[in-house]
Amino acid sequence: MLWQQLANGIAVGSVYALISLGLTMVYGILRILHVAHAGIYTLGAYVGLLAFRLMGDFWLSLLVGMAGSAVAGYLVERLLYMPLLHLPRIAPLIVSIGLFTAMEEGFRIVAGPHTLTYNAAIGLETISWGAFRLTETQVLILLVTFGILIFLWAFLTRTRMGLAMRACAMDAETTSSCGANVSAIIALNFLLGSAMAGAAGVLIGVYDNQVWPTMGSIPAYKALAIVVLGGLGNIPGTVLASFIVGLAETFFIGILAIPFPRDAVAFIAMILVLMFKPYGLLGKA
Amino acid sequence: MRKNSMNRLLVGLMAVILIAFPGTSLAQDTIKIGFFAPITGPAAVDGTSAKNAVEIGLKEVNDAGGIKGKKVELIIYDDRLKAEEAVAIANKLIEKDRVVGVVSGSYSGPTRVTAPIFQKAGMPMVAGYAVHPDVTWDPKAKKPNDFIFRNGFLGEVEGAAAAEYAVKNLKAKKMSLIFMDNDFGRAISAGFASHAEKLGASILAKQMYKFPGEKDFRPFLTRIKEGSPDLIFAAGYYNEAAAIVRQAKELGIKGTLMGEEGFDSPKFLEIAGPAAEGVIIATNLDRDDPRPLVQNFLKSYRQAYGHDADMVGASSYDAFKILVAAIEKAGTDPQAIQKALLDTKDYNGLTGKITRFVQGEVIKPVQIQVVKEGKFRRLGVVDNPEVITPPMKK
Repeated sequence: MLWQQLANGIAVGSVYALISLGLTMVYGILRILHVAHAGIYTLGAYVGLLAFRLMGDFWLSLLVGMAGSAVAGYLVERLLYMPLLHLPRIAPLIVSIGLFTAMEEGFRIVAGPHTLTYNAAIGLETISWGAFRLTETQVLILLVTFGILIFLWAFLTRTRMGLAMRACAMDAETTSSCGANVSAIIALNFLLGSAMAGAAGVLIGVYDNQVWPTMGSIPAYKALAIVVLGGLGNIPGTVLASFIVGLAETFFIGILAIPFPRDAVAFIAMILVLMFKPYGLLGKA
Repeated sequence: MRKNSMNRLLVGLMAVILIAFPGTSLAQDTIKIGFFAPITGPAAVDGTSAKNAVEIGLKEVNDAGGIKGKKVELIIYDDRLKAEEAVAIANKLIEKDRVVGVVSGSYSGPTRVTAPIFQKAGMPMVAGYAVHPDVTWDPKAKKPNDFIFRNGFLGEVEGAAAAEYAVKNLKAKKMSLIFMDNDFGRAISAGFASHAEKLGASILAKQMYKFPGEKDFRPFLTRIKEGSPDLIFAAGYYNEAAAIVRQAKELGIKGTLMGEEGFDSPKFLEIAGPAAEGVIIATNLDRDDPRPLVQNFLKSYRQAYGHDADMVGASSYDAFKILVAAIEKAGTDPQAIQKALLDTKDYNGLTGKITRFVQGEVIKPVQIQVVKEGKFRRLGVVDNPEVITPPMKK
């Protein structure tokens, strides 16, 4: 049972990581709490589903979902956040919350209030080992998430653009004065983060076989807690925090059988971290 | 052009007349019945199903000449699954629309808040499928809301009937429960567990999940799998139900999966897909009931809306027809309608034969259905009077 619960927890944690990374990257560079990121996640699921229904191929629909989210994230940055950057940070936050609510209503109006199914043939195999099962969709989640994480790590540490992005997160003005195109870096940041959220949307769509207008409302605040837990803007910390929260939720329910709502776990962890390690798990003062 | 402007003039004139004389002579010779359901919002699938089914009932009544020569008019409201909407609707139905009786096609939340309003106004209401005990009961005064009647089962009764079938017919000995954290989930699983234990079965695990919001049932199911139960009783609405069933199959759980009326929706079959095969549910509607009443309803529903009817629709249809039958017997005075409802005896309903109402609660057999080739089919009926008679409230 332990192994099965471990698999369940890592799968959930992977999806949390994909959602939270975009949020922490945006915070790292712009110091904005990008609440509408959860709307971008839902959009990814809907765009992916639409692509799947039109073309019938899951992998293609995953790419289209990611692309759809990336474009939407980029537009949010250019059209909403950039014009507001000279205002106190509360202004883009309010815009972001408003946008998120509007997006949820938009999904409801366009796609209807009902749950849609994402019944895709993925073409992977369930791995069985005695009573233990790594289900087909769990294999999918692990493959996609670890693929993306390795890509992200390589990009940030092995390319000049990645270096510039990390520099920008430390000090955008200095980076700019060194000749880096900060505007392009910010755009790339949104494209990457939103594509990951779109991937998460598609993955949850097939994992639960459900896509619905308010699927982003729980991730919206849970990702926030995870990002704080990982240390705002800290990428490795966020990945670590995602897996901790995913595993803790699963173990609380499935092994300790403590009957309390799973969504509380992330917040209890967040409160503890704020009390004892206010800069996050891997954060430095 | 001339014709067009003429039309406009006519429409304008009509509008003026309608505004100037709202609902006068036209409405005098109809019998007004109020209806509310969550037609939009999170429960839109169920609300629409209830409305569709009641409209079939309305058409049947009016095609047959109405009630004593008077056409029936249905005043439809959308409560959006919100209690505050339902309160406003209840007051509107009483004061503005002046209906003679009301049908609830809604969940417990909205139905429950309207009950004291209708009770106080002396307005009879028949609830299609709302399950909360306080729909028919005034918890403060500790007496029944004697103007309110329920066509659906109490959670306890349906749970006990499911347990009766699981132990006696399916011969299950070791069982585990997974249910949602709301009134319905708690009541039905408590009814199931206590009756199953009374019949000698053992309950291995009781797992409660957060509602609404939970989608990932794998941690719960992994724990349940560990005890290898013969049968898992699950309570939830169609979204949760479908996720539980799919994930149980993915994890390789072998025991029988049993559910309740929340599973009884075409959406459950759609989302669960092939994983739904063999799932057994306790519910209100028997699709294989040979009575023409049932087969005709199923046929007209399919013809009118292009998909199969479900338990929510059938129960709301029944609630409407029960009220119509009472008006036929007693006329349009609300007091007389209430008296006729209290005197209901051996009523031939779409969702089974109703023996009578006790404290507003229905006594009728509980249907057991199984999913075969993507459709709900009859598996059995629980009619043991000890199980299906609702406990007296006090």
